[in-house]
Amino acid sequence: MSDHRTHRLLRPETLTALGIAAAAFAFLYPTSTLRPISALLPAVMLVGLIILSLLLLIADQRKASAGEETEPMSKSPGRVAGAFLLILGYALATDLIGFYPSTAITIPLVAWLFGYRNPLGLAVATLVVVGAIWLIFDYGMSQDFPAGRLWQE
Amino acid sequence: MAISVLVPFTFGLEPLVALGLMAGIYNGAMYGGAIPAVLLRIPGTPAAVATTFDGYPMAQKGEGGFALQVAVVSSSIGGIASAFALMLLAPPLSKVTLLFGPSEVFWVAVFGLASIIFLLGGNPVKGLISACFGVFVSVAGSDPIYGNDRYTFGQLELLDGVNIVILLVGLYALPPVIDLLETPLKTDGVNSSKLGTEPIWRALPRMYRFWKTWIRSSIIGIWIGILPGAGGSMAAFMSYNEARRASKTPDTWGNGEPEGVAAAETANNADTASALIPALTLGIPGTAVAAVMLGGLLVHGLQPGPMLFRDNPDVVFGFMWQFLFGAILLVLLGGALATNSFARLLNLPRPLLGSVIIVLMLIGVYSIHGRMFDVYLMLGFGAIGWVMDKLKFPLPPVVLGLILGGFAEENLRLALRIGRGDWLVLFSNTTSLVLVALTVAVVVGPMIKRRIQGAKREEATS
Repeated sequence: MSDHRTHRLLRPETLTALGIAAAAFAFLYPTSTLRPISALLPAVMLVGLIILSLLLLIADQRKASAGEETEPMSKSPGRVAGAFLLILGYALATDLIGFYPSTAITIPLVAWLFGYRNPLGLAVATLVVVGAIWLIFDYGMSQDFPAGRLWQE
Repeated sequence: MAISVLVPFTFGLEPLVALGLMAGIYNGAMYGGAIPAVLLRIPGTPAAVATTFDGYPMAQKGEGGFALQVAVVSSSIGGIASAFALMLLAPPLSKVTLLFGPSEVFWVAVFGLASIIFLLGGNPVKGLISACFGVFVSVAGSDPIYGNDRYTFGQLELLDGVNIVILLVGLYALPPVIDLLETPLKTDGVNSSKLGTEPIWRALPRMYRFWKTWIRSSIIGIWIGILPGAGGSMAAFMSYNEARRASKTPDTWGNGEPEGVAAAETANNADTASALIPALTLGIPGTAVAAVMLGGLLVHGLQPGPMLFRDNPDVVFGFMWQFLFGAILLVLLGGALATNSFARLLNLPRPLLGSVIIVLMLIGVYSIHGRMFDVYLMLGFGAIGWVMDKLKFPLPPVVLGLILGGFAEENLRLALRIGRGDWLVLFSNTTSLVLVALTVAVVVGPMIKRRIQGAKREEATS
């Protein structure tokens, strides 16, 4: 019985509804410090989000009671989590060691980890992409890229 | 995704050049969706699903090249018809909307949001959550009247609010990249490497028999485009069904009938420019892509709505002509140059493609203000967008909420100032009342329709 309840609460829509309600509730507090007219729109939206997320929660729990199965959000959660972490890692690396080094590492790394394992193809693709970026954005459009906090400090 | 990734790169361009680039991408992408649809049975855009029905069987029979030529000619015809509709219908409509005051503009914004939520179909609760989220994001930054901070959390980067491009790239570009990396799909490169297209002028005489389909599908596409919430896929499906119904040989459809490709591709391109009619005149986009295009207008300081035609006629009318020329150019470029090359691009490994798009996203977002804060914010929106995408929350209401939220608030507060705080000012004239009635109709209409359909179904089962 308890196992069944745990599953009901772990349904993706239920978790999302609870998350929306909690976030909206947390964001509601700062509206008390605003002028009433300035707080009007955000407060209405947040209260709306709380009510709507509760409706979503009830609807999803009804489906659970009726024995309706939920589809998993991802067929391979590991790959999705890995992709997100790599993208975040790329952003952090860009901030830390600069755009060009992190891009030269990220392109072959992401492609290699996600199944493309041709060393020559990876080397050529990295060279072409980094070279094209330098030519178009850096040289052609004078676009500045992060140099990396590590080297600046 | 293509337009959302592209928008940041248009910053340095003149508004007209930037909008022309977006119009070209929009037209091209609608046709481009047909290439993988025909060759791999994977629609490049949702609007190209109907193209797979007959396009892929044609490719299997060795007629992939002809299928793509039918697609490009039909796309071009649909695009030209749509551009003419935009040119003919938008200017008179804008003259009417110029008469609107703050309370009417507020109701237009409410109507726009309501229509995109309720006419999109699916789950209205999810649509409303998306819209509330978008409007809530729009309030971050300085208050438009008093200037005090709202939800900036001490971050100077948020004082001007959330830039729409950050939201667009996060919501629309990141989830498809994650999908690209999630499924290591092995594509069938046979069709794309053995395309064997003949020159388009030699193929044209075989297409003349589609003229009725081209006219019918153009009308369907334009009509669906103008309707807020409908989109290219609905236009393509409706047009395909109508063409099949009118065909003398409906049995051949689904087995490689080129007219099926013509019907679907004409309609999904006829919906492109026409979706911008409500977008340019009222600030209400007809499709999700039109919502992204609205974001592109805002990036260049052009506020969609009635004032756009009065304040920036050169840009608006230039934009319309670019749509027309883009549609004509589609035959020349898409027919001869691009089709063969892009068909071979389908053989590129997906992980490599994914990693390159990630780099382009970072460059695009970083180049807005030259700060990493925006990149982190984009990643946050990307994570939210991925969850929304998987749980089938519609994304266009978020974009529209961000666009219309500030617009609605500013006009509401102006109207209240004019009415000295009396809320009845919002209902004080006929136009406002008509807009309120339209909003109610848009909200209640689909509910009544669903009830009637449910009752009919119950009757049929009993």
